[in-house]
Order: sequence, then structure tokens, then C-alpha cells
Amino acid sequence: MEKVTLTVNGFTQSVLVESHETILDTLRNRLNLTGTKKCCDEGTCGSCTILMDGKPVLGCLTPTLRCVGKEILTIEGISSGESLHLVQKHLVKSLGLQCGFCTPGVVMTAIPFLEENPHASRNEIKESLSGNLCRCTGYKKIIDAVENAAEEMRS
Amino acid sequence: MEYYHSPDSIKDALSMAREFDGNFIYFAGGTDVQIYRKQKLEKNEHIIDLKSIQDLNSISMKDEVLSLGAMTPLDDIIKSKEIQNYFPLLMEAAKSVATPVIRKTATIGGNLLVRNRCTFYNQSQEWRNGVGSCLRDVGDICQVTGGNNDCYSRNVSDTAAALIALNAEITLINSNEMTQKPLKDIYLPCGIKFHDLDNKNILTQIHVPFRPKKWWYKKLRVRKTLDFTSLTIAATVDNDDMARICLNGVSMAPILIEESLDTLTIESLIKQARKNCKTVDNDLMPLKYRREMINVFLEEWWEYEHHK
Ligand SMILES: Cc1cc2nc3c(=O)[nH]c(=O)nc-3n(C[C@H](O)[C@H](O)[C@H](O)COP(=O)(O)OP(=O)(O)OC[C@H]3O[C@@H](n4cnc5c(N)ncnc54)[C@H](O)[C@@H]3O)c2cc1C
Ligand code: SF4
Ligand code: FES
Ligand code: FES
Repeated sequence: MEKVTLTVNGFTQSVLVESHETILDTLRNRLNLTGTKKCCDEGTCGSCTILMDGKPVLGCLTPTLRCVGKEILTIEGISSGESLHLVQKHLVKSLGLQCGFCTPGVVMTAIPFLEENPHASRNEIKESLSGNLCRCTGYKKIIDAVENAAEEMRS
Repeated sequence: MEYYHSPDSIKDALSMAREFDGNFIYFAGGTDVQIYRKQKLEKNEHIIDLKSIQDLNSISMKDEVLSLGAMTPLDDIIKSKEIQNYFPLLMEAAKSVATPVIRKTATIGGNLLVRNRCTFYNQSQEWRNGVGSCLRDVGDICQVTGGNNDCYSRNVSDTAAALIALNAEITLINSNEMTQKPLKDIYLPCGIKFHDLDNKNILTQIHVPFRPKKWWYKKLRVRKTLDFTSLTIAATVDNDDMARICLNGVSMAPILIEESLDTLTIESLIKQARKNCKTVDNDLMPLKYRREMINVFLEEWWEYEHHK
């Protein structure tokens, strides 16, 4: 085990981890941040997406030791208190979630994408979320929600 | 036990490689290698992460030659204006790999050295225990052919097809020397040892010397995103009408057919491709369909090339 210092959602803390451990397991099992979901655990579903220094990465493929000295942001750090981020708000409003298992990954993919591409077209939004699998919604309502969020972010 | 190391120079990475002598793995983006570790297909104890090494992440153009650091993420390649303007074939190929989020982590070097794939091998340990292990793992027969000598797992690198069609060269460094050679020469027609790199070699740079007069690229896969290739074809034609057509995903190594348009016919092209590709039933798409799609894609390219 190695003792490392991680900064997650603005809080810096020391934690003991295995050297091969992924940040997904560290977040869920050691820091009790279970908002980030573990679904396929092999890079194919997008549900474990988190931000590392503002960039989306798959938690299930990222070694925890690679996260030392970086700012990690998870779904728990997105809303400010009771007030949801616009992407979250529109996912709720447009019924862009059912079981909600894919939702944290969708939010963590859509936010940096819209920040980088505020004028993204519907097709570009679709493409940006093409690594986020959802077995419930049929995708249309997720795309609607992200499009609506983009519109409100621009106004 | 497993150990993670993050050297900040090539020299340190090579000295670790010497110290761990065969019991290590280089880790670039890790988007390929992590899955092999999880599926217990890669069991070396030491991970040498190349991420902190300076100078391996760069895109530059000098005297019309494009140079890419091996650790450059595919997403940076897609977004580079120089690559969009002068090497759109490379941009298309990079864009067809995996998903937008994975491409932010996945590197060009890792993509060129992505491990060969087979439906009977790239599975969980439980799956493999159930169906039976194969030659490439701990078994003694190939689950596809029943043979006990050859492995036909497929090279699936999309950017390798594009860069071979672009006549790219690569720079490799090992403990005592630096070598530059054509990318196409590193691949071997074997599903188990699919490239000739000594395991300590670090791929540092990729050089793309030429801008073709025309290019064409197409990838066959189940979904428009996420899936590995079932067939990738990249083709270029230079100012002297020399065509370079590279097929990947259908054999153990990328297959290059190089011939002048003056002599090439569509019939001979298809014949050469079908003869050289050792395509077996080890992909999600059925074998007959994949073989037929070789003809379909080549005919499409031919039509595009001869369309005035
Ligand atoms: C869901 C999913 C979909 C995917 N789809 C595709 C696809 O469509 N097409 C495709 O080609 N791949 C695909 N991949 C595989 C992988 O993401 C890509 O091939 C990626 O480009 C690999 O790059 P990497 O930097 O992550 O490599 P790594 O996983 O870090 O490395 C790959 C191999 O190369 C070696 N290596 C890497 N860099 C160097 C270097 N500089 N010197 C020496 N050795 C090195 C490593 O030791 C390892 O054996 C997919 C993966 C996932 C999870
Ligand atoms: S082609 Fe045969 S030996 Fe090779 S990985 Fe597939 S089943 Fe195994
Ligand atoms: S759990 Fe990481 S991509 Fe599915
Ligand atoms: S809402 Fe259930 S998986 Fe997307």
C-alpha cells in the first residue's frame, strides 16, 4: 500500500491505496464517493467519467497514482448545495434519466464539452456523448437535455 | 505484487526497464493495457508510466515533415490545425478510434502498438475458463482454427493503416541506440508477437514525410463509435500516381499494397488483398461478410480514385 495525497472536489486528503488501484475504486471504496458509477469497469460505458484538471477521463482506466497532484472533480462536486448545474437541471426537466446509473458519467462528459464548445450543434453533442451508454432512455432525451442546457448556458 | 513508476526521462525509464527485466509494461494512455491487466492477460508486476517524460507530447512541422511525439493524445491530433489542413487522412483515422473521452487519454504511440485482438482471447478470465484457453494465452490450440501453431489475432490500429499509407517512419530508443525505420516494417505476421520491438524499446517519435495528392479512409464497425475495427482501409496516391493502400483489422499485421495506378486494376487489387489478408472468424462480424466488405471498400476507393 502507498500513502498518497489526493485533491478531490476541492478537499485535499491522504489515503492509503494499492499501487495498481484505479481512481474509480479509490473514490468509491476508500473515499465513499459512490456517485461515480462502476458499470463495465473496462472503458466501454462512460459511467465512471470524472474530471482530472478539467479534462474528462475514465475512472476505471486511470491509476490513482496518476492523479496525485491533480485536481479531481466528481459528480459530488458539481452542484453548489441544493442548486443543480444547468446540465443536471435539464436532465431532470427533459426526463433525460430513468434509473440514473449512466447519469453521473453523462454530466461529467457534457459539462467540459459544453464549456469548450458552447455553440455545439446537436450532432456534435451526440458525438461528444457517444461513449456514454444508457440502457434506459433511448438517448433522445439526454441529447435534448444537453442541447437545452447549452442554450441556457449561452443566454 | 504490482508497482507503479513514473520516470521523468527516457533515460530513467530505460534504466527501470533494465532493472525489471521483462517483468514490466510501458503505460502510455493505458486505455488498452489496463483492460489486459483487468482481464489477467497482462500480469507483469511493474507499470512504467511514460506520462511524465518531457518532449514526448508534441506536434511540429519542419521542412514539410510532420513529427509527432508518441505520447501525443489522439484528441490533440484531431484538433491540430496543421494536421487538419495537411494530413486530413491522419485526422480521420484518429477520429475513428474509440470514443471522444478515450481519445483525450489515448496516445498515438499506444495506438500504433495496440495489442492484436480476437473474440476468443479478449474476454474475462471466467469467459476464457469456460470456453477454453487458446495458444496466445495458456492453452494449446487456437480456438478459431483448431490448429496448434499459428495465432490469427487481428491488428486493429486505425492510425497504423493511415500512417503506413502516408509512408510514416518512427523513432525508437533502447538502452544503447536510437533507430529510425518505416512504420510498416515493425509489424509481424503473427498474432502473438505482432511487432518486432524489443520489450525495452520506447517509441518516441512518428514522422510523416509526404502529403499525398489524394487520400481515402473508411472503417467498418458495428456502431459508429466505440467499436474496434472489423476492416479499416486507408489509401493515398502521390504525384507520380503511385497508390499505397493499407488494410487493417483483417489480418495479423497491416497489409500494404503499393502499385502505380498505371498498372493497377481493381481485379488485381482485390486479388492481392484477398490473398494477403489471413482473415479468420475471430471478430464480432461474420467472416463471409468481412471478406466481402474488403471487395466493397476497395471498389468504393477505386471508384473515388477514378471519378473525374
Ligand atoms: C472502449 C474502447 C474502444 C476502443 N476502440 C479502439 C479503436 O476503435 N481502435 C483502436 O485502434 N483502438 C481502440 N481502443 C484501444 C485503445 O484505446 C487505443 O488503441 C489507444 O490509442 C491506445 O493508446 P494508449 O496510449 O492508451 O496505449 P496503452 O494502453 O498505454 O499502450 C498500448 C500498448 O503500447 C505500448 N506502448 C504505448 N506507448 C509506448 C511507447 N511510447 N513506447 C513503447 N511502447 C509503448 C504499451 O506497453 C502497450 O502494450 C479502444 C479501447 C477502448 C477501451
Ligand atoms: S486467433 Fe486463435 S490463438 Fe490467436 S487469440 Fe484467437 S483463438 Fe487465440
Ligand atoms: S465503468 Fe468505466 S467505462 Fe464503464
Ligand atoms: S438512465 Fe438508466 S442507464 Fe441511463
